Amino acid sequence: MRARVLLKFAKILMISRLRGTRRSFVTNSITARPVIIALIGIGLFVFGLGLGWVTISVLTSSSTDATAVAQIVFTIFGGIPIFLIGFFFSMGLLWELNASTESETTDAINWLPITPSEYVLASTLSTSYTYSPLVAVVLGYALPIGFLTGNGDAFVLLVGISLVATLIGSVGVEILRSMLARASSAFSRIGGNAMVAMRILGVVLVLVFTQALFSGFLVVRIISTLVGDIAATVAVPVFWPTLSITSLLESDLLSSAIYSLLSLGFFFVLTYIALFLRARFWITAPPSLHFSSSGSLSGISKLRWLGLSSLSVALLRRELRSATRRKEVVRLMAIPLILPVMVLFPVVFSPAPSSTTTPPVAVNPILLAGPLLFGVGLGALFLGITSIGQEGGRLWNIGSLPVGARMIAKSKILFTSIIAMIGLVLGLALAVLVFHLAILDAFVFSGLGLTVVLAESSLGIAVGSRYADFSEGPRPRFVTIAGSIIGSILGIIIMGLMSVAFVVTLLLTFRLGLSLPSILTPLPLFATAFLGLIFSRISYVISIRPIETLLGEIPN
Amino acid sequence: MEPRGLAVETEHLTKFYGRTLGLSDLSFAVGSGEVRGLLGQNGSGKSTLLKSLLGLIHPTSGLVKVLGLDVQKSPMEIRRSVGYVPESPRLYEFLTATEYLDFIADVRGLSYAEKKERIGRLIQALDLEGKQGDTISGYSQGMKQKVALMGSILHRPRVLLLDEPLNGLDPKSARVVKELVHSLALEGVTTVFSTHILEIAEAICDRLTILQNGRVLAEGTAQELREKAGLPGSGLEDVFLKLTGTKGVEDIVEALMR
Repeated sequence: MRARVLLKFAKILMISRLRGTRRSFVTNSITARPVIIALIGIGLFVFGLGLGWVTISVLTSSSTDATAVAQIVFTIFGGIPIFLIGFFFSMGLLWELNASTESETTDAINWLPITPSEYVLASTLSTSYTYSPLVAVVLGYALPIGFLTGNGDAFVLLVGISLVATLIGSVGVEILRSMLARASSAFSRIGGNAMVAMRILGVVLVLVFTQALFSGFLVVRIISTLVGDIAATVAVPVFWPTLSITSLLESDLLSSAIYSLLSLGFFFVLTYIALFLRARFWITAPPSLHFSSSGSLSGISKLRWLGLSSLSVALLRRELRSATRRKEVVRLMAIPLILPVMVLFPVVFSPAPSSTTTPPVAVNPILLAGPLLFGVGLGALFLGITSIGQEGGRLWNIGSLPVGARMIAKSKILFTSIIAMIGLVLGLALAVLVFHLAILDAFVFSGLGLTVVLAESSLGIAVGSRYADFSEGPRPRFVTIAGSIIGSILGIIIMGLMSVAFVVTLLLTFRLGLSLPSILTPLPLFATAFLGLIFSRISYVISIRPIETLLGEIPN
Repeated sequence: MEPRGLAVETEHLTKFYGRTLGLSDLSFAVGSGEVRGLLGQNGSGKSTLLKSLLGLIHPTSGLVKVLGLDVQKSPMEIRRSVGYVPESPRLYEFLTATEYLDFIADVRGLSYAEKKERIGRLIQALDLEGKQGDTISGYSQGMKQKVALMGSILHRPRVLLLDEPLNGLDPKSARVVKELVHSLALEGVTTVFSTHILEIAEAICDRLTILQNGRVLAEGTAQELREKAGLPGSGLEDVFLKLTGTKGVEDIVEALMR
C-alpha cells in the first residue's frame, strides 16, 4: 500500500467527480483544489450551526416539555448516522449508475500499476471527501443542540460515528461496484436481453430505494422502530452507529462503547470484503453484450399499422435500444417510471407507524391524480430534455442520413411519450389497486395524462435541442445547467396553466359551494387536454430550428 | 447551369471555428467518377472540408455544391446520394453491427430483401461473420471502421466521402477497401478521401489535393506533384514534405531520442 499513490489517486477521482458533475459553472482551476471542499464544508458547518441554534432556541423558548425535547434530540442524533450511511451509499451508487461506459473502459485502474486495494481505498476516500460538506452541515446543526441540551458527550461521539458512517456508506458502494461487474459479465453470458432487463430493473429498484430513504417518511419510520423496539434492530449492522449514539443518550455507556466498536468493526469487515471482491471479480472492460450469433434483421413492424412510417419505426427502435442498453441512459428512462411512484410515497408511508388503521379506502381522484400527472409530466420533461444531448459524438450518424429535423423531433417526442405513458399507467394501476381509484377515473386520467405527457415531452425536446450538452465526461449531463433550469421552470409553468381549469372548478364547487350544470363537468378535462395539445404543438414547432442548426453544425 | 461531369465543387469556401480558421477561401472541384485523395498535415482542414461537403458544418462563407446541388439549400437530397465515414467514427455502441446496418438501411429506405442481401454480403466481405450479433461497444477500432464503411456504401451512394477510411484496418480489409473504391469508381461513384498513407493515395487516387492551413497548396496527379516539387522520381513522402515545407525531421528525431 503506497500512501502517496493512494492520496494522489483519491484526489484524481475526486476531481473527476467534480468536473463530471459541476463542470458547467465551476472552473477547472477551482475543482483541482481539494481544499475548496474543506472550505465549503466550513461554510456549511457555520450555516448548520446557526440552523441548529435556531432550532434549539425555538424548542427551549416554547412550552415544549423536557421529555419532548429529549425525544427530538434522540431522533435527530439517532437519525444522523443512518442518514449519512444511506446518503453516501446512494451518491456513490448514482455516480456508478451515471458513469458512461467509455469512462469505465478508460478507467486508470485498467492500465496503471495501481493495486485493487489502493483503488478501493482511494475511491472510498474520494466519495467520502467529495460529499463531506454534508457531514459538516449535519454536525454543525447537531453541535448547539447537543451542548445546549446537556448532551455534549453525545455530540463528541457523533463526530466520530459520523465519520465511520460516512466511510461505511462509501465502502459499501465499492462492494456493489465489484458485484455489479461480476453480475454484468454473468448476465452477458446468459444473454443480452436478460442483461438489459436486469439493468433496468436494478436502476428502478435503486431509485425507488433511494427515494424511499430520502423521502423522510422511511427514516422517520426507522427511528420510530428504534424507539419502539430496539431489540429488533441490534442485529442489523447499519443501525449500530445509530445505536451507539442512542445508547449514550440513554446513559448506557457500556452499550454505547460496544456499538461504537461494532460500527468500527463493521467498517473494517466491509473494507475487507470490498478489497477481496475488487481483486477477485473486477474486469478491465465491460463485456460486449451478445444478442444473437447471426444478427437478425427487422421485418415490417406492427407499429406501421398505427400509421408510422418505416423511418419513424427505425428511429423509434433505435431510441428504445439506446434507452435500454446504454447505462447512462437507462436511468433517464427510469425517471418517468419512477416519478409517479415517488409522488405516491407520502401516501404509501401514511398513516403513522403506530396507527393500526388500514389505508384509506377511497381518495379524491383529483387529489390523487394531480400529483401523479405532475410526476409523469416532470418525468417526460426530463427524459425529453436529455434526449438530444445524449446523442453525443454519435450525432453525425443522424446528421449524415437523410433524416429531417421534423422527423427527429417527432421520433423523440413519440419515444418520450411512450415511456412516460408506461409510467402513468403504472402509477394509475397502483392508485387503482392500493387506493381504490375508480377504473373509469383511471381511464379519464390516462387520457388527460397523454396530453400532459405530449406537452411536457415536446417542451423537453424544444429546450433540450437548444441547450444540448454533447460533452461526454465521466458523468454526461446531456443538457446544460441553464437548459435544465429553464426547462424545469417552463415545464412547471405549463403544468400550472394546464391545471387552472381544475383549480377554478374546485374553487367553484368546494369553496363557493356552486354546483356546476352536469354539462359543464367535463369542461375542465377538455380545457386541460386542449391546452396540452396546444403547448405540445408550439413546443414541437420551436424545436425544429435548433435541431436543424445542430444538424448543420455537428459538434466535434 | 452546372458543367457536366463535376460531382463536387467548392467556391471560396471559408470556415471559422470561433476565431480558429478551418478553411480559407478554398476552391476545389472533383469530376464525376474520380477518386480524389486529400493530403495534409494534422489540422490542415481535410476533415472540415469533408464535413462541409455533406453539410455537417455550416461554412462561414463560400459555396459548396455536390451533384450540382447547393449543400446548404438541399441537404436532404445530398444526404440521400452520399455515403460518409468520419475520422474515428462514433457509432451507436449499444447496437450490434447487424442492428446498426439494419437501422441505416431502414432510414435509407431499402427493402427487406435489399438490406438482407447487402448486409449479409458486406459482413462476409469484411470478415465480421460471427461477430455481427455483438454490441459494437466490444469491437476493436478496425471492426468499428468496417461497420462505418459498410453503413456508408449500403445504399450505393453516388458520392463517397471517406475521412481516413483505412484507420485500424487489417491488411486484408484495407485491400478490400482499396479494391472497393476502385470498383465503385468504375461504376461512376465519385470518392473523396483523406489519408496519411501516401502509398495508398498514390495507388488508388486519380488526383491528389494537398491542403495546408485550410487552403489548397497543390493539386494534380502524383506525377504532376513530383514535377511541381522538383523531385521527379522521388517517393510521394518526399514530395509531400517538400511541398508542405516540413523540414528538420532529423533534428526532431534527435531531440526525441535525447
